[in-house]
Amino acid sequence: MTEPAAPRRVPWDRARTPAFLQGYGVYAGVAVLLLANVLLTPHFLSAENFRTQAVQVAPVLVVALGMALAIGAEGVDLSVGSVMALSTSLLSLYLGYGPWIALIAAVVGGAAVGLANGSLIAFVGVQPIVATLALMVAGRGLALVLLPQLRDVRDPGMAALGSQDLLGVPHPVLIAAVLALAVGFTVRRTTFGRQLLAIGDSRPAARLAGLPVRRVLIVVYICSGVLAAIAGVLATARLQASDPTSLGTLMELSAITAVVVGGTPLSGGRIRIGGTVAGAVLIQLLTATLIKHDLPPSWTQIAQAVVIVLAVHAARERGKR
Amino acid sequence: MKSSAVRRTTTRAVLAAAVAAALALTGCARTEDDAAGDPSASASGDTGQVVATPGAGSGETCTVERFGGTRTDLATATVGFSQSEKEANPFRIAETASIRAEARSRGVELLTANAQSQFSKQISDVQDLIAKGADLLVIAPLNSDGWGPVLRAAAARKIPIVTVDRKINATPCEDYVSFIGSDFIEQGRRAADRMIEATGGKGEVAILLGAAGNNVTTERTKGFKDRIEAEAPGLRVVFEQTGEFVREKGQQVTEQLIQSNPDITGIYAENDEMGLGAVNALKGAGRKPGAVKIVTVDGTRNAVQGIVDGWISGVIESNPRFGPIAFDTLDAFTKGEEVAQDIVIQDSAYTDVNAKSGLGRAY
Repeated sequence: MTEPAAPRRVPWDRARTPAFLQGYGVYAGVAVLLLANVLLTPHFLSAENFRTQAVQVAPVLVVALGMALAIGAEGVDLSVGSVMALSTSLLSLYLGYGPWIALIAAVVGGAAVGLANGSLIAFVGVQPIVATLALMVAGRGLALVLLPQLRDVRDPGMAALGSQDLLGVPHPVLIAAVLALAVGFTVRRTTFGRQLLAIGDSRPAARLAGLPVRRVLIVVYICSGVLAAIAGVLATARLQASDPTSLGTLMELSAITAVVVGGTPLSGGRIRIGGTVAGAVLIQLLTATLIKHDLPPSWTQIAQAVVIVLAVHAARERGKR
Repeated sequence: MKSSAVRRTTTRAVLAAAVAAALALTGCARTEDDAAGDPSASASGDTGQVVATPGAGSGETCTVERFGGTRTDLATATVGFSQSEKEANPFRIAETASIRAEARSRGVELLTANAQSQFSKQISDVQDLIAKGADLLVIAPLNSDGWGPVLRAAAARKIPIVTVDRKINATPCEDYVSFIGSDFIEQGRRAADRMIEATGGKGEVAILLGAAGNNVTTERTKGFKDRIEAEAPGLRVVFEQTGEFVREKGQQVTEQLIQSNPDITGIYAENDEMGLGAVNALKGAGRKPGAVKIVTVDGTRNAVQGIVDGWISGVIESNPRFGPIAFDTLDAFTKGEEVAQDIVIQDSAYTDVNAKSGLGRAY
């Protein structure tokens, strides 16, 4: 009787802490890693270092943006790594016409894979994980048919894209930032974004409400394919070579990690673009920290696993509420 | 019934679309090489030769009598070649090309198979080659272990096997005849010698390791570190991270390295691709050619070009041209002569002295 607020405060904390962790834990993680590195890593606080981390994270982030859309629509896109490989093959094949034509060819290739993914999911009714798995295998195969081995890229436009900057910001970082803002705006402020989230929340309900479910799903996977193709172009520009055998391998897992760690639930209906950016940055900082301190590479994998388990744990707690 | 028909049409449509796409995409392609009139791509002559040094001193040998086979004539035989990885990197391309070229020049019928980096496929590839009538086998094994069933099938038919570039764990002259390959530990030692020469034996070096759990990685690392420890106490290995034998990973790791260790003296890359990634990273960071000494292993044309351009200090060759020596061994063996069980090939090296003239020899 004397403390009426006490029994209410306990469930409030229990309910709120995991929700807070799921939503903002990733920012806290980035902050902790930054602080630890400032204290422990030599030469960490330099413009050059932040530039390196940003340039390395840019392709992963661009892929993760598309992945966030797919996951928000209660799907997943496993074909992104293969789309990067296909994109680099097409780029190399068409670079003789100049960088712009080659860029268009690469993006069209990504859109075609996205269209195939979306059609299989929306019209044939294949599960997203199966449909995109098929395109993941087919995409890398096609990439290797087109370009069987590594080929150097000598185009000056591509070199500029990979190594020069605008007002101190490297081109890949600038492009990734613009794309993040565009995707964030689309999700929050457009009809398409709202429809996507509604479909992700409950596809039957969205269909009953008269939403163009098939069209939206196809556009989602086309977006994911195009973003992966752009990431492939950025990675190629940085490497100054087209290497379809290794480019983008395991990229789908990095992208899913970034999205999930960023607080987007795998059950769809909700997308956190800010969290996805932070998730990609978190994984990048984690890898960088372990490399800079020369720890065994197996540790990186273990550390990533721990982060994923923590993120999924936070999501599970929230689901139970 | 109806839905399955629909599904079949869809599958067919998807397949047709994929084939059409592949044709359309390549049909009007125009690469930089096409546009520039192809300056370099055509200069791929198979000029180098594998020079053998019979196994150091007390090399065990093998004869057709001890193996239990019968003498035959290589010229009338069918040789099967099983390649382990897809021909997507210069080493594998040069290796397969060398075997093919040698078979053609000797007029030997050659059957080939490629396991696409899947060990189970390589096992069935070899069984297929035997079933198709191969009298002799040349195998580039993906793994060292797990060859039991294939070797039993080959031994039952007394098919002589020569393995190239990697060894298999089995009894020589019983399960197989000979192993022909490079000494990866020696490659590491020679890379260390080159690194000591380039750095003057003082400073800090980093190692870009190959893929984990691979004998090439462990042996190239062991040879390098042992030699550094023994010969150059002033040189310290301060950084060892994997670049997984891939250029992109080599570049990313080197970018991190030169940020946290700006005074690094040298980088030892366990293959050329990672070394070229390191060159990219140094270029991106605005370093001058030669400021950081890079030593790599393999001998691909791009890396040798890197020496000419001043970015790379030395390339230790790992010669992939097994054709002549493999067929010489099979020829001698089938005639009844003694052949060594371990044939270590002589790898050369490229430095600033011979890089320009050696560019034609690089693969």
